[in-house]
Amino acid sequence: MATDTDTGRVEEFGEVSRVRGIAFEYLSLGASVLGIFALAVLLIYVTIDAFDLANANPLWLLTYFLTLVVPFLGFCLYSARDRTLTRRAVTVAGGGLVAVAVAFTLVETFVGQVPRLNWQLTYLFVVIIPLTGYLVYMGARGRPGSVGFGMVGRLIGGTAIGLAFSVLFLVFDERLWFLAYTLGIVPALLAYAYGRLRDTPAAVTAALPISILGMVLAVFVREVLRTYPTTAFIYLWTLAIPIAAAGAVVVNGRGSRTAALTAGGVPLALATAVGLFGRAAGLGVGGPNALLVIAVTGVPVAAYLHRVFDVGEGVSGLGLPVLLVAGALAGAFLVELFGIPTPSPWVSETFLTEAPSRTATEAGLYPAIVGSVIIIAMVAVLSFALGVATSVFLEEYTADTGVVGALTRLLQINIANLAAVPSVVYGLLGLGLFANLLGFGFGTAVTVSLTLSLLILPITIISAQEAIRSVPDDLRRGSDAMGATRWQTTKNVVLPEAFPGILTGTILALGRAIGETAPLIMVGAATTVFSPPSSLFSKFSAMPMQIYAWANFPQAEFRYGVVAAGVITLLIILIGMNGTAILLRNRAERGN
Amino acid sequence: MSNTETKPSDSLITTDVETGSNDRTAPSDRTAVAARDLNVFYGDEQAIDDVSMEIPEKRVTALIGPSGCGKSTFLRCINRMNDMIEVCRVEGDIEFGGKNVYDDDVDPVALRRKIGMVFQKPNPFPKSIRDNVAYGLKIQGFDGDVDERVEESLKGAALWDEVKDQLGSSGLDLSGGQQQRLCIARAIAPDPEVILMDEPTSALDPVAASKIEDLIDDLAEEYTVIIVTHNMQQAARISDRTAVFLTGGRLVEYDDTTKIFEDPEEQRVEDYITGKFG
Ligand SMILES: Nc1ncnc2c1ncn2[C@@H]1O[C@H](COP(=O)(O)OP(=O)(O)OP(=O)(O)O)[C@@H](O)[C@H]1O
Ligand SMILES: [Mg+2]
Repeated sequence: MATDTDTGRVEEFGEVSRVRGIAFEYLSLGASVLGIFALAVLLIYVTIDAFDLANANPLWLLTYFLTLVVPFLGFCLYSARDRTLTRRAVTVAGGGLVAVAVAFTLVETFVGQVPRLNWQLTYLFVVIIPLTGYLVYMGARGRPGSVGFGMVGRLIGGTAIGLAFSVLFLVFDERLWFLAYTLGIVPALLAYAYGRLRDTPAAVTAALPISILGMVLAVFVREVLRTYPTTAFIYLWTLAIPIAAAGAVVVNGRGSRTAALTAGGVPLALATAVGLFGRAAGLGVGGPNALLVIAVTGVPVAAYLHRVFDVGEGVSGLGLPVLLVAGALAGAFLVELFGIPTPSPWVSETFLTEAPSRTATEAGLYPAIVGSVIIIAMVAVLSFALGVATSVFLEEYTADTGVVGALTRLLQINIANLAAVPSVVYGLLGLGLFANLLGFGFGTAVTVSLTLSLLILPITIISAQEAIRSVPDDLRRGSDAMGATRWQTTKNVVLPEAFPGILTGTILALGRAIGETAPLIMVGAATTVFSPPSSLFSKFSAMPMQIYAWANFPQAEFRYGVVAAGVITLLIILIGMNGTAILLRNRAERGN
Repeated sequence: MSNTETKPSDSLITTDVETGSNDRTAPSDRTAVAARDLNVFYGDEQAIDDVSMEIPEKRVTALIGPSGCGKSTFLRCINRMNDMIEVCRVEGDIEFGGKNVYDDDVDPVALRRKIGMVFQKPNPFPKSIRDNVAYGLKIQGFDGDVDERVEESLKGAALWDEVKDQLGSSGLDLSGGQQQRLCIARAIAPDPEVILMDEPTSALDPVAASKIEDLIDDLAEEYTVIIVTHNMQQAARISDRTAVFLTGGRLVEYDDTTKIFEDPEEQRVEDYITGKFG
């Protein structure tokens, strides 16, 4: 080595590092492709099982392909308004059809039967779904597409949020909420509004104490008062009216007063009518939950409609929901007309609304879905509040040097280590602390939520700290120099800037919390319950627990069909939740 | 290289001193801020060495000197922004409004509400232009007409005409020079008594810088302005009094700007100003 000439050395080094670099590049590419491929195959099979696609008649697939998928892709292309894109999309769809059919036949003849797949399904998964994803992405950049997807998103998202609220009221006493709202929140808001309009700072400051006082009072009144309005009326008064008012305020800010009244009033009237009289009028829907869903969906949709018409661009995109519904109906009609056999998917209405059962066809996930939704809501609130508070304290309030600095660093290291502690250990902690010592009970929603919050707290804290640290110091100094107190700087400058980052961390952590089973088993959550929980302290189950239980059932239908349906449901709820949070975050990033 | 640089700057300074800073007669009769036996340490390292000076009210006072001589440190002593630096220790007095700002009963937050500050790098908040200017009013619980005050301050910062139609858009969408004027508007909105500026034009192009220079000239009608600058011509053009710091945090000479730039007492100061040393 020492005898090497200079040039010789350089060449040798160059060779070696290039080989390594190339090897590394292909290794990492291979690793990621392998990972994605394995996951894709798994998801494809789970989807096939959950929707019973293996038994789907090719004609059935063709019918829906023509009535639903093709018009939708056409809509995306219409929105993107790009000739080359259209040409390419048609080429991919057509060429893909031939390529997949040929390749699949070759594999079947020379390699052997592929289980539960045929070339039509392969074409669907390998060509059409990725193509649809890409075209949705491209279409959303065009004005009609973004309007259409915005509309569909509000419809689906509003419905989901409305349903989630109604699920929460299964365990939270709506009468207590009614009293707390009426005695606490309404007076506080009135005081605040009065203070703002009349320039009376005292009234503004009084708002918070008033609300706390009112809520405490509500707890006492709940003990005494015996008669209450109906649930539908409570929802109307405490949720639908404020939501409609908020929508009206938003519309009023950018439009006329009439438009504002319409945007708030029409959905409210519709919700009230259907909610109070729907059942009586023989509509098939009605009751308090319908009221809630219609209000939560209708008001944002109305505000959105107003904005779209106001801007006047891409109005045609509003037809997208109609297109989709019409496509589905037309497909169903044709299938009926020609007597095409339809698959019976495991993810069905029964599955989503019924209790678990011994027979696979009657099995349902409803109690576990409710349990999961309740846990998610509580964990989100708890870990967000605790995580933000802790990270703000660590980042903004503690010194970097001296004794306090050393203590902070110690705490910091411990938090980082806590993130690596296995989840069973947290389960043990939950069992000892919340279930036994504090007496919240075995396997109750409170115990599970607290345990899972603790589990993800380190991740939330660390990511929130990271987000807070990335706020430029310039901004802090700017605010301090204006004579802002530490708290004012934190509240007005640091937190708004760090918010998107904090949200990202919380989303990731929440995703982990939903899928956990080990700590749930440890704190004694039931694998199977037959009715949704009626209070925070009743026995309940969560989706992963139920899926885990089913996976051990002897019948094959359970292990393939029902488990797959459970996994798909869990995934859809997870993706929906993450998607909503990501949308919120992006809006916060752009908006400010 | 040093030769070519020295020559034009020499001539520039003389012409500028003749045209600039004649509108106000210096020295002023009243003192706004006074330092007495000020020593500042970062850990064991001394950044300000026994500085005493009186800064006149409603005048522009420039602090000049080579890099690392403690100009920013001195500025930060006045509004106690040094409190934020944990290793920093201040001895001696800064008198402002007839009080030593380092007395125990002085609340630094309240003090900063009377002293505005503009930083070297424009640092508008990621909020709307209006909210940026109204920031000080908001945190101080101002109960007058905010919009009127925002308009006044933007006019005072010579920015109003450029942004009056986009008050709702983000302050970050402005150009660097506009951002710096926005920061000045933000600083003057709560109507402070003193405005501290730490190299406010060093990140800007000459046109934007000259706009800010004009602005500083106007600000001195109402406010006491203390400005740190590395630009000799700028100091000569806009200031009434100039303080020259040299390495080690010593105040070497402090006098009327005209005197400092035409006939400094100290050879070292002359060398520094003409670029022979620094
Ligand atoms: N936060 C700090 N921590 C430790 N030492 C510091 C700190 N800020 C400044 N110093 C030291 O104090 C001395 C004076 O610094 P200061 O920033 O006041 O100089 P300056 O005159 O403003 O220089 P420049 O013209 O480059 O801005 C320098 O030696 C610097 O290293
Ligand atoms: Mg400096």
